[in-house]
Amino acid sequence: MTSTSALGSRRALTQDRVINWLFLSFLALSLLVGFLLLGALLVDVFRKGVGELSWSFLTNPPSSLPSRAGARPAILGTIYMMILLVVLTVPLGVGTAIYLEEYANKNRWYNRWLEINIQNLAGVPSIVYGILGLAFLVRGLGLGRVLLAGALILTLLVLPTVIVAAREALRAVPDSIRQGAFALGASQWQVVSRQVLPAAIPGIATGAILALARAIGETAPLLMVGALAFIAFNPTILGDFTALPIQIFQWISRPQEEFRHKAAAAIIVLLALLLVMNAFAVWIRNRYERRW
Amino acid sequence: MLKGDDMETAQATEPAVRLDRVEPAIADRSDPAAVAAVQVPPVFQVTGLSVTYGSHLALADVTMDIRSKAVTAFIGPSGCGKSTFIRCFNRLNDLIPSARVTGQVLYHEDDLYSPTVDPVEVRKLIGMVFQKPNPFPKSIYDNVAFGPRVLRRKDELDGRVEMALRRAALWDEVKDRLKTNALSLSGGQQQRLCIARCLAVEPDVILMDEPASALDPISTSAIEDLMHELKTDYTIVVVTHNMQQAARVAEMTAFFSVDVGEDGQRTGVLVEYDETQTIFTTPADPRTEGYVTGRFG
Amino acid sequence: MRAEFQQDLDDLEAELQGEGSIVLRSLRGALNALETQDVELADEVIAFDDEVDDRYHGLEKRIEQLIARQTPVATDLRLVLAVLHSNMHLERIGDQCVTIAKLTKLTSHLETKRSLIAGFEEMGSRAEEMLRVALEAFANRDVDAARSLSELDELIDRGNRDVTKQVLGLAGQPGMQEWGMRMIVVSRCLERIGDNAVDIGEQTEYLVTGEFTEFTDASHPEGRAH
Repeated sequence: MTSTSALGSRRALTQDRVINWLFLSFLALSLLVGFLLLGALLVDVFRKGVGELSWSFLTNPPSSLPSRAGARPAILGTIYMMILLVVLTVPLGVGTAIYLEEYANKNRWYNRWLEINIQNLAGVPSIVYGILGLAFLVRGLGLGRVLLAGALILTLLVLPTVIVAAREALRAVPDSIRQGAFALGASQWQVVSRQVLPAAIPGIATGAILALARAIGETAPLLMVGALAFIAFNPTILGDFTALPIQIFQWISRPQEEFRHKAAAAIIVLLALLLVMNAFAVWIRNRYERRW
Repeated sequence: MLKGDDMETAQATEPAVRLDRVEPAIADRSDPAAVAAVQVPPVFQVTGLSVTYGSHLALADVTMDIRSKAVTAFIGPSGCGKSTFIRCFNRLNDLIPSARVTGQVLYHEDDLYSPTVDPVEVRKLIGMVFQKPNPFPKSIYDNVAFGPRVLRRKDELDGRVEMALRRAALWDEVKDRLKTNALSLSGGQQQRLCIARCLAVEPDVILMDEPASALDPISTSAIEDLMHELKTDYTIVVVTHNMQQAARVAEMTAFFSVDVGEDGQRTGVLVEYDETQTIFTTPADPRTEGYVTGRFG
Repeated sequence: MRAEFQQDLDDLEAELQGEGSIVLRSLRGALNALETQDVELADEVIAFDDEVDDRYHGLEKRIEQLIARQTPVATDLRLVLAVLHSNMHLERIGDQCVTIAKLTKLTSHLETKRSLIAGFEEMGSRAEEMLRVALEAFANRDVDAARSLSELDELIDRGNRDVTKQVLGLAGQPGMQEWGMRMIVVSRCLERIGDNAVDIGEQTEYLVTGEFTEFTDASHPEGRAH
């Protein structure tokens, strides 16, 4: 057999096929590992927790008696925190992103310095934010171990992520839109507020929601600023508080098997909340999908 | 014509007027001198204009006038600075932080680059249409209404939108779907929408940066017809890489070329600026001749 | 589509027709001057040729611009080329008129022969008719009318031969020789006008069919070429 023909070398062709096949197998394997791990987790959690899910679980406060223990303060704490987070991070994050993308002259050293810092902040471990919260907010400002302190520290935690996501969304708006608006005699503010920002909103919203979803699962910084595991009353902004991850953490560390099941049920609730948020993000993306 | 001895013996008598002399209908339109004689003052007077990006000299020392109520075309090979140049007229280069414009651009009597001039005000008078149609991701109506809204001319908005769309020869195609997204239009329609959007601001000058290069031949033809229509009311400056387009639409044509320096730096220069027919029949510069005949660039 | 280009083409054709009508005027003037030995009118015809030349150059210039700027193709290209050639033929006809007018002036003091003058009037009318037919055929894209021109031309040619014969007959009359010699040239001019009208007809056929045929081929006089 000649090594070359009009259709090229046959041996090379076979080699290519093998490499192709190997690569596809590797991809399938990675996918399989991910799905299996997630599946195992879900099955385990559902097996333990579904039985515990009931209206009273959602509405009862925690109790030392496993049969009466519920997660209401934790759920409410998480929801309040989410609302505070949205109110705090979105304006700050989007504002920063707009400054960096639309206004900042990238040739100025301070703008470049700002950018690098924000990127670095996104990589700082969450426990470090917790320590900062404890030292600066709880003790330094004397805010105390309150829900607001927790929300503020989570804000700091996700702000870099929101900024990065918002910048990506702004950058995805083609320059031709900006130039088109400028060319019609629009001012910088009009260009941003009437064209760029509306066009970037789906991207910003999805990015922000995904960042918030991550914050909702955070445990370590909340522990540092003093979320309590046992709160029998509804949390308030300036009062003691708890949140679902804390509650889960606390229940899991109890010796009684029933509390483990309660923890599994709380995990299901947390997962459901995350799922709703992610679904919302997907919906927004589809709803406002644009082509340029 | 009979030439010879017969000629000299002919008597030079004053002819009676039995064969009425007819006014030549051709001369006034084909004679550049006649055209120039009725010329109103130029819209732009550019003197010694250079543009640098950082340390790169992109366009060097351009001096030219832009004729009022006519189409002026800039042609030349890639990188000759023609797009850079056209962006000097509405100060769009200001958006690039590293760009620096030196020299003078007079718009009627005013210095466009005087420190007291607000570029936003400049762009209200000097509109621009871009290479790729760039409608805003909004409804057709909102696209056209954007300019008037930004300029706070909200009275008679519907009328303004209709007028602009009519002038851009788009009204009949879109009048029943003004609320649909502009991105659902075809490429050619999008470009005419961008022209309508520009007209809604009621500019004095329309700059067009390769307005048809992303369009099919039919749409291109429609845009060219539109330019022909619009030049009765507007001064139009068009950058095009399509020489034939310049030949078809423009009264005046400027040919730009690239000078490559010793350090390999490429700088755009204005080679020749003249009546379009001169550029395409008897260009003065061999570089222009080489370009328009397709033998160079 | 391409409204400006279409307008330019229409203008071009209108200019050609306009030029045709003033050439016709010039021809009529030349014929009248010849018949009545009107020197003044002959001068006028000569001066009027500037008008024809202006039109000719103007049209040339426009065609140059149109080709350079609009790149005509297909029918448009044939139209532009046909106008280009027809323009030249019209200008030639104008020149023939000038020649007739000049000869009229040169012979205004000489004795004439009535029968010959009447023959010229007839040839001239035929030439006028041919030019009209040629211009109309061009305007209407009428190939049949354009082809009929070669038959009309035959009549003029016959007239030309008659004139030659008659002038030869004048050879014996001492006073008539100069006039006769001049009139041969006049006859030749009228015959050329007919040929030019035929040429315009050929351009019409080219414009319509894209084929170019010589309606009367001098090298094959026995038959028409198409």
